[in-house]
Amino acid sequence: MNRVAEVKMGGLEIITGDKSELKTFVGSCVAICLYDIYAKVASMAHIMLPKKLNEKKQTVEEERGKYADDALMHMMDGMIQLGADPKRIQAKMAGGAAIFSHESETGLFNVGPRNISAIKQILHENNIPLVSEDTGANFGRWVKFSLNSGEMTITSNLKKTEKII
Amino acid sequence: MLKYADNLQQLEQVLDSYIAAKTIPSLNVILEEPISYFLKKTQEITITNFDSLIPDSEKMNVMSAVYVKCSGDLHIGVLWYMLEKELKPLAKKLLPESHVNEFDKLAISSISEIGNILTASIVNAIDNDKGCKVWSSVPGFAIESLNTLLEVVMSDFGYHSDAVVVSAVEFRSLHSGIELQMLLIQDPNEVEKLVV
Repeated sequence: MNRVAEVKMGGLEIITGDKSELKTFVGSCVAICLYDIYAKVASMAHIMLPKKLNEKKQTVEEERGKYADDALMHMMDGMIQLGADPKRIQAKMAGGAAIFSHESETGLFNVGPRNISAIKQILHENNIPLVSEDTGANFGRWVKFSLNSGEMTITSNLKKTEKII
Repeated sequence: MLKYADNLQQLEQVLDSYIAAKTIPSLNVILEEPISYFLKKTQEITITNFDSLIPDSEKMNVMSAVYVKCSGDLHIGVLWYMLEKELKPLAKKLLPESHVNEFDKLAISSISEIGNILTASIVNAIDNDKGCKVWSSVPGFAIESLNTLLEVVMSDFGYHSDAVVVSAVEFRSLHSGIELQMLLIQDPNEVEKLVV
């Protein structure tokens, strides 16, 4: 059985004992993980954008992780349904890079830093502690989260680095 | 009203005429050699399925890329990219020998300028032909995997649309064999502005 749940761009996955790992690749997007290590429930969203512009628009199943505000709500609800205790839920995140030069100067894209900022704000509002992060810089990252250890492993093929947070 | 599939076909023809009339002569002057091009495909994709644009084997290929975002009457993103290893032969053609030992700011700046000039050739053609006023951003430069580059571009469009229309074009210099790829990305709701 495949023990790894891959999260697509804009997607969201929640795992319990049947899977042991969540995995995605992010550039300017952010991989946010919420987890309750005691209940063995974890979720990962591949967040593309800070906020849904049209709040009335229905979220399709495959894009539950697209917007930060939407994604964190779905993650919390889904995890609680699977036995997580909201008071024990913690967060780790990675990504949010500014890939192209001049992003911050023009303000035209700058999606990565805006994603990071929005997620931190939502976590703060919901009293979810952000335990650790590997964000910013200008390179893409493979992100893996282990449900057993609660560790997030971040790998950059380009920089040839691996980091555990 | 035209059927959407017809619109995409017409869009491809319109782009083809702009590239032939404006972009190829510009690139020809920059590289000082004849250029061929191949308009590979124009298709609509949902943003979250952007990885369908590239074969799995190419997703992690490291590319040198320039992205120019255009706004105004039309919203267009133009991504120019080439294999990182081909950056040096291109830089050699643009810079005096003394400047190409390392990829200093001047080399990056000159390549960004190519992206800027070639994007301008398309934007000017749109203005002349359709009367649409479009302004280009400062070109952004990056060296990254194709997957990462596309993720940024798609996220940028994701604010306004769930889907994009992408036209893929390959340019090749006939003497030095330099290959340059272009992805022209549009909001599907704006395609009609170019095919009317």
